[in-house]
Amino acid sequence: MSILTIKNLTKSFGGRKVLDSISFSVPENCVFGFIGANGAGKTTTMKIVLGLLAADSGEIEVCGERVHFGATKTNRLIGYLPDVPEFYNYMRPKEYLKLCGEIKGLGNPTIKERSERLLALVGLSDANRKIGGFSRGMKQRLGMAQALLSEPKLLICDEPTSALDPMGRKDILDILHQIKGKTTVVFSTHILSDVERICDRIAVISDGKIVLENDMSDLNVPHNSKTITFDFANEVDSDEVMQVLTERGFAPTGYETPATSIEDIYLEAIV
Amino acid sequence: MNQFLAFTKKELRESIATFRVYILLAVFLLFGVMGPLLAVATPMLLEMVAVEGSGITITMPDPTAVDAWTQFFSNFSQMGSLALVILFAGIMANEFSRGTLVNLLTKGMRRHTVILSKFISSGLLWTVAIVLSIGVCYIYTAFYFETEPISYFALVFVAPWLFGLFMISLLIFGGTLFSSFGGSLGIGLGVFFALVFANMIPGFERYNPVSLSGGALSLIAGAGTASDLLPAILIGIASIIVLLVGAVIVFNKKKV
Repeated sequence: MSILTIKNLTKSFGGRKVLDSISFSVPENCVFGFIGANGAGKTTTMKIVLGLLAADSGEIEVCGERVHFGATKTNRLIGYLPDVPEFYNYMRPKEYLKLCGEIKGLGNPTIKERSERLLALVGLSDANRKIGGFSRGMKQRLGMAQALLSEPKLLICDEPTSALDPMGRKDILDILHQIKGKTTVVFSTHILSDVERICDRIAVISDGKIVLENDMSDLNVPHNSKTITFDFANEVDSDEVMQVLTERGFAPTGYETPATSIEDIYLEAIV
Repeated sequence: MNQFLAFTKKELRESIATFRVYILLAVFLLFGVMGPLLAVATPMLLEMVAVEGSGITITMPDPTAVDAWTQFFSNFSQMGSLALVILFAGIMANEFSRGTLVNLLTKGMRRHTVILSKFISSGLLWTVAIVLSIGVCYIYTAFYFETEPISYFALVFVAPWLFGLFMISLLIFGGTLFSSFGGSLGIGLGVFFALVFANMIPGFERYNPVSLSGGALSLIAGAGTASDLLPAILIGIASIIVLLVGAVIVFNKKKV
């Protein structure tokens, strides 16, 4: 079943077509990567799905219900994390989640239980100070908590990792990894390594058109290939591997052992 | 109803956190004290100046309770209106310029509830401020002067209260329309001064909401009747409704 279906969505800003009849659908319980350069139309699409922006034409359905601009009925099924989430700076995380819960119509015991669980999930259990003093990464994580508060069927994240340092990015991806399977996630990004890490399915948007939509597993390289990368559970001697391969008649013309990525080195150094 | 209560609580919490409530109460408390005080002090100051200057003595009539209220309302209607504009110009505008409503609207927060809650919570603060201000002025006046019972007592004080609500709804409308503190401030000051100048048009005073801010004076002085204020009151109430409905319509069409 599709959680989100977009059909022929078109939107122009002052004569410039930002979305040119785009269509795609997001199956249940997958992590869907919405990929495109800055200004490709990702945020516009998401805002239309949330009823924050009016479409020129096209249809959107969330869990089989039509989305209408301004009327936020379908939003009860959606959790949204904006690219730069903004909070009331004078509040503390729990107060903010309480406000969100009350607006959602949740009861106090539910709000309390979920707030504690979600703040633990995003690593803010001990951050009981005013949000005004939060770092960008902390705000992003609190944003994740408020988006998940209503236990939405669909979580929409607009570039959740783009503005963060490597540690912050890793935190957000880890959180997405943890909720995978419980909630359907659509997240927009232009960072392809993030997509590789957690997405099940992707759509690529370019100049307001969907140019590619597929499952990640179908994007894999075919079986007949001139290059194969091996991963071993334990450390192996590369010379020995070469020797075995040559003996069996598969003499490679060359090989390389991957250098440790600068990201791994950075993360190791600061932890 | 839940949304309304939750958001109104947030609004009141915000007024405390941003010191708006303290400044509002302090300013209007000051007006309350200053009215009778200035009425007492002005003749004394004038006499002192006159004596020291040229030896001519000026005999001033003894100040009365009406002088105290006159002083009060002149501060109240001018400085008070400006204070209101400055203190409340950001209530709607800041939500848009900072983007703080996005999280709440995407949780199903109804847009008209936001407008209504802003109006009610600000109106509540304003009510406390005006009751305090007029209460203090009343007590001081009774302390310094012989007071006679004020005719149309309720009306004398409801009129400026209504004008404050008019200004608040104007600022909510302006903030929703322009999404910026500057825009809201501009529309607040612009409309206020336009209405003040419009009072120069003969006969218009009767219908002008700005007359409500200090126009009840004639009733205190014993001149005029309640019906003199009626057209301005009706227009004031109608303006509040039009501005709030207008704010909801603008907000409903607005991309956030």
